[in-house]
Amino acid sequence: MFAKLKKKIAEEAAIAPRPGGAARIPRSVSKESIASMGADSGDDFASDGSSSREDLSSQLFRRNEQIRKLEAKLSDYADQVRNLQKIKEKLEIALEKHQDSSMRKFQEQNEAHQASRTKMAEGMSLALEKKDQEWREKLAHLEKEKRLLAAQLQETREQSLNLFQKRDEIDELEGFQQQELAKVKHMLLKKEESLARAERELEGCSRELSRAQGELQASNCLSSHLAGELRELRQQHSELETQRDELVGAEASAEEKITSLEQRGQELQAFLQKLAVDLQKAQAAASGCEKRLETLQAEHECLRLEYEQHKQKMTIEVDEKNKLIGHLQEKVSSLEKRLEGNFSGDEHVQELLKEKSALEQQLSVARASHVETVSLLETQVTQLASKAAEGQSLLSEREELARRFQESSMSQLQELEQTLQLTEEALTRSKEEIGERELQIQKLQSELDAESSRLKQEISTVKLQCTERIGRLEAQIAAFESSREADQMSAQHRISRLEEEKEELLGSRREYEGSLKQQEAEVERLKEELRSRETLSVEIAKALGETREELHQQVAELTSASQGKDQLITEKADTLLKKQEELEQLRQSHEALLLQTRQLQSAAELCESQAAEREAAAGKQLSALRLQVQEQQERLLASESNVTALEKATEALNKHLHPLEEREAESNGEVTATDIVVLQRENQELEQQMVEKNKMIKQLQQRMTELKKTLQKELKIRPEGEFAEVREKTNSEVPNAALTVTNNADLNDSREINFEYLKHVVLKFMSCRETEAFHLIKAVSVLLNFSQEEENMLKETLEYKMSWFGSKPSPKGSIRPSISNPRTPWS
Amino acid sequence: MGGFFSTIFSSLFGTREMRILILGLDGAGKTTILYRLQVGEVVTTIPTIGFNVETVTYKNLKFQVWDLGGQTSIRPYWRCYYSNTDAVIYVVDSCDRDRIGISKSELVAMLEEEELKKAILVVFANKQDMEQAMTPTEMANALGLPALKDRKWQIFKTSATKGTGLDEAMEWLVETLKSRQ
Repeated sequence: MFAKLKKKIAEEAAIAPRPGGAARIPRSVSKESIASMGADSGDDFASDGSSSREDLSSQLFRRNEQIRKLEAKLSDYADQVRNLQKIKEKLEIALEKHQDSSMRKFQEQNEAHQASRTKMAEGMSLALEKKDQEWREKLAHLEKEKRLLAAQLQETREQSLNLFQKRDEIDELEGFQQQELAKVKHMLLKKEESLARAERELEGCSRELSRAQGELQASNCLSSHLAGELRELRQQHSELETQRDELVGAEASAEEKITSLEQRGQELQAFLQKLAVDLQKAQAAASGCEKRLETLQAEHECLRLEYEQHKQKMTIEVDEKNKLIGHLQEKVSSLEKRLEGNFSGDEHVQELLKEKSALEQQLSVARASHVETVSLLETQVTQLASKAAEGQSLLSEREELARRFQESSMSQLQELEQTLQLTEEALTRSKEEIGERELQIQKLQSELDAESSRLKQEISTVKLQCTERIGRLEAQIAAFESSREADQMSAQHRISRLEEEKEELLGSRREYEGSLKQQEAEVERLKEELRSRETLSVEIAKALGETREELHQQVAELTSASQGKDQLITEKADTLLKKQEELEQLRQSHEALLLQTRQLQSAAELCESQAAEREAAAGKQLSALRLQVQEQQERLLASESNVTALEKATEALNKHLHPLEEREAESNGEVTATDIVVLQRENQELEQQMVEKNKMIKQLQQRMTELKKTLQKELKIRPEGEFAEVREKTNSEVPNAALTVTNNADLNDSREINFEYLKHVVLKFMSCRETEAFHLIKAVSVLLNFSQEEENMLKETLEYKMSWFGSKPSPKGSIRPSISNPRTPWS
Repeated sequence: MGGFFSTIFSSLFGTREMRILILGLDGAGKTTILYRLQVGEVVTTIPTIGFNVETVTYKNLKFQVWDLGGQTSIRPYWRCYYSNTDAVIYVVDSCDRDRIGISKSELVAMLEEEELKKAILVVFANKQDMEQAMTPTEMANALGLPALKDRKWQIFKTSATKGTGLDEAMEWLVETLKSRQ
């Protein structure tokens, strides 16, 4: 409303100042615009009129026309302005009207507004009052509420105070609780600790238990061990017993050995006898061989004689034949001569030829026969030679036989000697044994005597004891018999008594039985009475039962007594039987003792006899052995003499044989087999010598070659070798030695080389690293003949160069040759 | 100065250089072997009057290898280099049958030295590429190696010019040196 109003007011304000000014200004403007338009057009004319008159005229015309037009327009415009003024007036009037109306409306509206405003104010005040009242009521309410709330607040405060108090109490309680809890916890912990302690104790106890169990087991083991040991000891005991048995057995075996040794001695004696027999046989064989040799030699001589005879015959025959042949040849030659003389006679010639042929045939026959005889002789000769060879072989065999025999006899001799020694040793042993045995025998005899005396004493004592015993036993037997009889009598008496008692008892029993019957009858009567008197009956029955029981007991006692009596009787009978058995046993033992005594006596006698026999046997053996030994010694001597004789015989035979052979060789004029053998031996020896010499030659050649080789090597290696010799000398001398070693021809060259070497080494020493130079010190010092001091100095300086620390070594005097005495350092 | 530092390093890290001598008669191929080991190439050599020393690294082991001249006149100086020697490589010409006896006597004399008692001996039967070369067993017998007591030794057939056998020998040497430490 207000905005509209304000707009309207603003519009009116804008329009209101205008009517004075606005109405004038547009009029002035229109007048001035018309004047300016006219002025402008006049200026346009002036500018264009200078061109020409025609043009000016035309232009004037045109200007006129334009003026006309413009006048027309002006008039139009004036009309329009008039219209516009009219419209303007109309509009001003309308405006005024509108202004008035609007003013009026405005005033009206203002009035309405004011009226409504007042109305509104009134309403509002009314409402306000109402509201005020309401508020006041509300306030009162609120105040009331406030009071209530304050009361509540106080209450709540009190409550809160109570709460705080309660909280404090609660806190206190909680503190108490916590303390108690702590206490409880403490208690718990203590309890736990005690529990743990108890557990530990328990564990300890269990450990101790286990230990105790272990100990128990150990002790069990020990006990088992001990038991085992006990067993072992028992076993050992048994073993010892067995060993003892074994030893007893060994004793027995030793005795057996002694017997076996005796047997051996006998065997040795037998062997000795055998050997003696062998020797005799051998001697017999030797004599047989000698005889055979003699026969063979005789045969050999016979054969030789025959051979010589044959030979002589043969030579004679051959001579004869040769003579015959010579004759025949002469005849032939004469005949040939004759033939030559009578050349013409063919018949003669033929006859002569025939004769010649006949003669030749004869000759050939004679020759053949001669050849045959010769061959026969030769065969004989060969046979003889073979025989001779056989004889020789026989001889050699004989010789071998003799040698063998000698060897065998020697060996037998040795064996015999050995056996003799053995037998002597055996003898000594047997003597010792015999001595021991004699001693044993003496001991045994003494023991035997002692034993026999003891035994006799024992026997006498035993006899005495036996007689005593027998007497005692007989007395006992008599006593026993008497006692037995008495017992029997008493037993019979008892039996009779018992039987009487029994009869008595039986009678009493019958009586009792009768009384029983009577009582039973009485009982029956009483029963009858019982029926009338029941009270009595029970007592009676009781009495009856008691009496019955007593009766039974008595009966049982009686029966038991009778049984005991019966047993007694049987026992007595048994004892009697036993006594009898004992008697018999005693008798038997007596008999056995008697037998033993007899046996012992017989054994003693046997022992005595055996001892005597042993003594006798030992004495015999001794004498026999001595005799044997003497015989063996004699035999030995005999065999030795035999052997010497045999040796002599063999030597003689050999001698015999050799001359025979020589004789043969001489007679035959040929190389005999022995010579051949000798020659062959010589030949072999020579060959062996040859072989040995050849070997020697080879060895010498090998040595030669080796020596040559070594010489060559030495020649080649000489410098090194000599260097090696020199090497033991000091270092400083080495290069000199090396220099001297080289040959004179190469001296210059080597010096050059050495100089070059020195140069190279020094160059390297100066140029190379310290580590390498350190290794080169020695080479340099050797090359330049440095002394030990100088070398050490070099080393020290190099070490100084190589190391980080350390002082420079002080130069020694040797480095300054110009100063005679090295100066002592200042410090 | 470099040597100085190397000595410090070696003393710090405990890697001691192994000292090896290459010995043998003149013309056996010692120098060729040394440079074959160091450079791995065949070099043309002249007779060594003096020695050559080179550091050869093989399998992380450093060797200070000394090649000493083998001519007859300078052989006596070998003994100047014997101290602190770990191994001796003895080079023998496999084709030189005439002088193997001299080689043997030199070897024997060398091995008798007290300073070389603990040294390992490696024999190189060199020039095995030649046709008339002796076999290693032959050479071992000719040098009397089987008779050696208290000595670790081994013979290898090598050819310095072809480069064969050197690796095996060095392998063996390294192993034995390592095992001995």
